[in-house]
Amino acid sequence: MKKLCKIFIFLFIFCILWNCIFKILWLEKTPIKYFYDEPKNSLDVVYVGSSNAYAHFNTTLAYHLYGFTTGMLSADSQPFAVVKYLIKESEKYQKPNLYVIDIAKLVDDLDSFGEGDIRKSTDSMKFSKNRNDAIDELLHYSKGKKDDCVNYYFSFLTYHNRWKNLSSQNFIGDNHLYKGYLLFDATVQQEPQQNYKWSVNTIKLQKENKKVLMNLIDYIQLEKLNTLFVIPIRTFQNKDDERLNDAISILKKEKMNVINFNDLKDFTVDFNKDFYNFAHLNVYGSTKYTIYFSNYLKENYSLKDRRNSKIYRSWDREYERFKTTFKELTNIKFEQYLSQIKS
Amino acid sequence: MNLTSLVFLFFYLIIFIIYFIVPKKFQWIILSISSFIFLFYHNLSFATISQALIALLSAYLFGILIEKNLENGKSRKFLLFGIGLILIELIYLKYTNLFISTFNYIVRVFHIGSQQSYIYRNSLIGISYYSLIMISYLIDVYRGSCKAQKNIFKCALFMFYFPILTSGPFIRYNDMESELYSGHKFNYHTMCSGLLRICWGIFKVLVISQRLGYFVDGVYNNLALYNGFYVLIAALFFPLQLYTNFSGSIDIIMGISEILGIKLPENFKTPFFSKTITEFWRNWHITLGAWLKDYIFYPLLKSDIMQKLNRECKKIFGKKTGKKIPLYLSMLIMWILIGTWHGGAYTYIIGSGLLQFIFIFLEDILSPIVSKINIKLGINEETFSYKLYQVIRTYLLFSFSMIFFRATSISNAIDIIKNIFVWNPWVLFDHTSLYKTGLDLYNYHILIVSLIAMFVVQLLQRTGSVREKLCKQNIIFRWTIIYILIFSIIIFGCYGPGYDPTTFIYRQF
Repeated sequence: MKKLCKIFIFLFIFCILWNCIFKILWLEKTPIKYFYDEPKNSLDVVYVGSSNAYAHFNTTLAYHLYGFTTGMLSADSQPFAVVKYLIKESEKYQKPNLYVIDIAKLVDDLDSFGEGDIRKSTDSMKFSKNRNDAIDELLHYSKGKKDDCVNYYFSFLTYHNRWKNLSSQNFIGDNHLYKGYLLFDATVQQEPQQNYKWSVNTIKLQKENKKVLMNLIDYIQLEKLNTLFVIPIRTFQNKDDERLNDAISILKKEKMNVINFNDLKDFTVDFNKDFYNFAHLNVYGSTKYTIYFSNYLKENYSLKDRRNSKIYRSWDREYERFKTTFKELTNIKFEQYLSQIKS
Repeated sequence: MNLTSLVFLFFYLIIFIIYFIVPKKFQWIILSISSFIFLFYHNLSFATISQALIALLSAYLFGILIEKNLENGKSRKFLLFGIGLILIELIYLKYTNLFISTFNYIVRVFHIGSQQSYIYRNSLIGISYYSLIMISYLIDVYRGSCKAQKNIFKCALFMFYFPILTSGPFIRYNDMESELYSGHKFNYHTMCSGLLRICWGIFKVLVISQRLGYFVDGVYNNLALYNGFYVLIAALFFPLQLYTNFSGSIDIIMGISEILGIKLPENFKTPFFSKTITEFWRNWHITLGAWLKDYIFYPLLKSDIMQKLNRECKKIFGKKTGKKIPLYLSMLIMWILIGTWHGGAYTYIIGSGLLQFIFIFLEDILSPIVSKINIKLGINEETFSYKLYQVIRTYLLFSFSMIFFRATSISNAIDIIKNIFVWNPWVLFDHTSLYKTGLDLYNYHILIVSLIAMFVVQLLQRTGSVREKLCKQNIIFRWTIIYILIFSIIIFGCYGPGYDPTTFIYRQF
């Protein structure tokens, strides 16, 4: 018995040390990791998508304006095939009123994703069946990447190497994320873009991509989840908009709600000032986007106002932190900018 | 299946659980099944199954036949036939290219015939080990020092016991019979001790050996770029790389067996503290040396031909010198065989065979002369400084021989040696040159600290088991050391993809 206790204590200490060390060694904090930090059943909306999600939708601003909380399940170049598993994972921790699903990446070839793209989403997920299933599916589509597949399931095989790249951010957390929303010096840049016009033509979605979309729809219908599919405002290349038109018709046929932000009469952004690259809104554009979209969500979905609850103080703190950073980076008070846009 | 891979870890975990769940009398069956899985894990084909069957049946059937005919004198024929079959298989699978390279050399020199291309045969893992193990088994049965195994599956277990298939050590049937077949009860202390040894082995392989390998491979594979001190350092690093890799693997193997209650013979005893090459080989790959002495060297020395040669040499050169000639000749044959065993290429025969023989021969001849000179010069051989000089000398000689061992061909080895004689000591001091060879500053720091740790452990080892010493310490100290060891492997071990995770951060859209 004494020996068993010893083994148990040894393993317990080992797990604590492992957790502490790999929290530092693993990736810097990602939106998905922040999602896990939220208290159980505390999120009203979960936003799933690629970098467009966390660069466009300012979760702290939406909370400040309407009081609902949004969790970000997004990663850079996140393959669309991972969305189903992220929602499944989300269901374990949260019961949101709505899932907002960004479909910009739906049109990318499924075998075009590299190791990094797969890892960015799955490495941030907790070790679980959903994570394993996501990796399985992504590896299934990613031809020729199966040689070192064990490394995808056990991330420490890769990240242990980071010991020499550690910075203060690994120890104190990443301060560029505000409840999943990204703001740092690059995202305040104003990179003029050519005015983009959404195509009215339609090209059929790739067969495999359509399969992935149908799987997701089946899952949503089976679980009776409330969802809203969105196409972010940005420039699309290589006739991706025409493929997305096909996706829109599929979604509408399946009675799914869809908003195409590139094709709205009452919303647009300034392509000269509101982007920091062709695919991502800068902080000015994202503020406009968030004001419009959060208002839309509040009006169309029954989302509670959490602003007076003590449990949600961290959202106020993050909003204040966001405002401070905004001021530091732009020399403009955020309230001032906000009232300027609203007027 | 790599001993330091996660797959092996899971494989072993399953074996460990089943092994201690089943009754003791069935434990050997679990080991047999595991050994077969290990043997054919990467290489299950008609060819490999045939190879295993030929080797197993040769040993099993001839073992029984030798024992049955011990009285009537036919046993010798069966012994030779059994050994012959095992050797034919070994030579056919491992040494064909040695013959081809010899043939091609003759063709090239004498301009006769056409060159033959090399043949790469699909051989089973551990063929060099199990072949010699089975030869020793047949000889032991013949000598009457052990009884033939009547159960073919037990015989197979002795032959293919999975931990030893990768790096040895060489086992003898007499020593292993009770260890393998009698069954063992789970023992907490043995488990802890075994796990510690496994961790130490993994540390040596993943933290030290792999890191040294980056440098050595970086230099040796790019001789056009590197010369002088780069090559010198690579030459000095390689024995350490080899040692940490080999002895680390042996530590893992010993630890694995220890947990299962199976004691294997030691294969290393701090060889880099040796003062002579003779002493070095007594502490390096001990079981191979012992095998060759028992089954090649002594039988050869006692053979009729050598005895006859002994008598003739004594007549010609006198008693003192004459008796040494057959001894050196037997030694030469033994060393050539050691070199050949290491691989089917002349680089191995020279590096780990002929050169070792030359060093030992010179040591034997010159040591009385050196001693006399030392006395005349008033050099005390018992001082620390003199012993240190001897240790360094041995290391340098071994390092030199390992240039051949590591080289891809004899001409490559000569190129390496030539490259050393380029004067560029500034590469040691300019803070950038050495970082281009595969290791950056951080990795040098880890390497130096790890080597110091290994050196301290080896010093402690000379006065008894380090694990026993550690067990006597209080629990906080003990566990701290163990956690440091485990997390050093996990964090600083060279494993996983060479992928730079910093490129994955979300900012790089």
